[in-house]
Amino acid sequence: METRPLGDTGHDSTVMTFGAIALNWLEQEGANQLVEHVLDYGVNHFDVAPTYGDAELKLGPKLRQHREEIFLGCKTQERTYEGAWRKLDRSLNRLGVEKIDLYQVHGLEYDEELNEITGDDGALTGFREAKEQGLIDHIGLTSHGDPGLILDALDRIDDLESVMFPLNPVVAGKDGDEYDYEAVLARADEKNVGTLGIKAFAGGSWPPTDELPEADRPFANWYRPVTAPDEIRERFDFAAAQGLTSVINAGDPKLITMILEAAADYDGMDEAAQRSVIERARHDDSPVPEQLHH
Amino acid sequence: MDVPDTVATALGDRPVTGRRCLEAGAGMGNATAGLLANGAARVYAVTNDPDHARTTRRRVADSGVADSGGDGSDGDGSDRGNDADRLAVLKADLRSIPLPDGSVDLITAHGLCNVLDPAALSTVAEELSRVAAPGAHLVVDDYDPLPDGTAIGELFAVENAASELARCRPALTFYPAAFLRRFFAGHGWEFERERTLLEPVPWTESHVSAHADEAASMAAECPGEAGDTLSATARRLATEIESESVGRMYSLAFRRPG
Ligand SMILES: C[S@@+](CC[C@H](N)C(=O)[O-])C[C@H]1O[C@@H](n2cnc3c(N)ncnc32)[C@H](O)[C@@H]1O
Repeated sequence: METRPLGDTGHDSTVMTFGAIALNWLEQEGANQLVEHVLDYGVNHFDVAPTYGDAELKLGPKLRQHREEIFLGCKTQERTYEGAWRKLDRSLNRLGVEKIDLYQVHGLEYDEELNEITGDDGALTGFREAKEQGLIDHIGLTSHGDPGLILDALDRIDDLESVMFPLNPVVAGKDGDEYDYEAVLARADEKNVGTLGIKAFAGGSWPPTDELPEADRPFANWYRPVTAPDEIRERFDFAAAQGLTSVINAGDPKLITMILEAAADYDGMDEAAQRSVIERARHDDSPVPEQLHH
Repeated sequence: MDVPDTVATALGDRPVTGRRCLEAGAGMGNATAGLLANGAARVYAVTNDPDHARTTRRRVADSGVADSGGDGSDGDGSDRGNDADRLAVLKADLRSIPLPDGSVDLITAHGLCNVLDPAALSTVAEELSRVAAPGAHLVVDDYDPLPDGTAIGELFAVENAASELARCRPALTFYPAAFLRRFFAGHGWEFERERTLLEPVPWTESHVSAHADEAASMAAECPGEAGDTLSATARRLATEIESESVGRMYSLAFRRPG
């Protein structure tokens, strides 16, 4: 599988990152098998979080067995110094490892949070101490919030080495600043910060729960994913062709093999084909249904 | 409204800022939105279809690309007040454009030529050339003919057959890029560049159903059995084809000698 340099970290990540949230829906034996399956494809970057049910615990055994082959990303939603330290200790324990390669501020959403994590008593102070002590190697940040906020974070956090954010054709087809994750990608590239793409496979939102109760949803994703092999491939190619360092799989284990296949076969997507994917997504949720043209 | 990537790509290397623009065949207002977003001094959006004229005004107004106070005729004097003044949607025939000679600096024909049969295309090209100022730019975006044996091609064939029987002309003509390139050169336009906007072209569910409706409504105008057969075929195809990605959409750019 193709690899790309993850910013300045010195690590070359495979163009697909394994989002280990998928393990949460499997028994331990199935989880072990899935990790072996993912490693068979050569995937070398894993991403997990304490909020993904017991994904950390289920990842543990195979992670320890293959520790050298895996660049491990983990994250915390804590914003304070103490909270971050607590969660880091907990994750190290649950994963059963000595070190996390990339520790990320998880799900930054508000300006106040950026102030908080960058303050003296903020999470990043804890991250930096942990880095000095060799418990983590690199610092990252994840957000599906406002692109402007991520841009601010890139400007304000000098030792930031990766950012994780949404990128897909639906978002790419929208013009407003609130959708301008392309600007985040460009700024991150400028600063040589690694870029990890989420929501590449998002098809749309689920119907309201009175129409489709949560328990009746066929996939364990927060959004309705695309599911046909061709669409999965197209979405993967699109995301990878935007220039992200690596694309994270949709969370549902049923989709992983299709995504692995797409990642293994990836060999670029030209611009006319990228626009074609954007155009299709635009028409699929167009406010003007009677369109005859593009 | 969001400017489609096709439009943004076609206009990307054209000088729009401060120019007087003609959007020939306003349709859904996509190219109009692109011209306004790129800073056109003025956009004349011309269509002969009153629904399209309304759609163009409404979509542009709703989104605030150009705030036209809802009816495209007057601004509100606020920040965006002069955006309203920048757009004039004209309901007119492109075969006789209600603009003086040499009055526009940039013309867009985005998805226009395929709805013009050869006779109309010929007259429209003369008119576009007339209203263009010396040194004006022309952008022609359209579709290459589809390869044989596509499902969407079958639907277009039904649409064209119904149109021929009902109105004695095709509904759609896909002119090859090379054809329009030489055709406009023959009208005195210097060719500057070609870009591929979409490849493949995504004919989505909404395109399929819109074209099937179009075919069925024209079939209803056809005399006798042929009409019934064509509308039945259109309806069948609409359910059979979900979507199909095939063909190429291109962008040609020309310049009028200065
Ligand atoms: C497919 S639409 C073009 C899409 C449009 N340019 C956009 O960006 O949304 C074609 C338009 O050309 C108009 N048209 C076709 N023949 C025309 C004619 N002879 N005079 C004026 N408008 C015409 C149609 O009514 C329609 O609005």
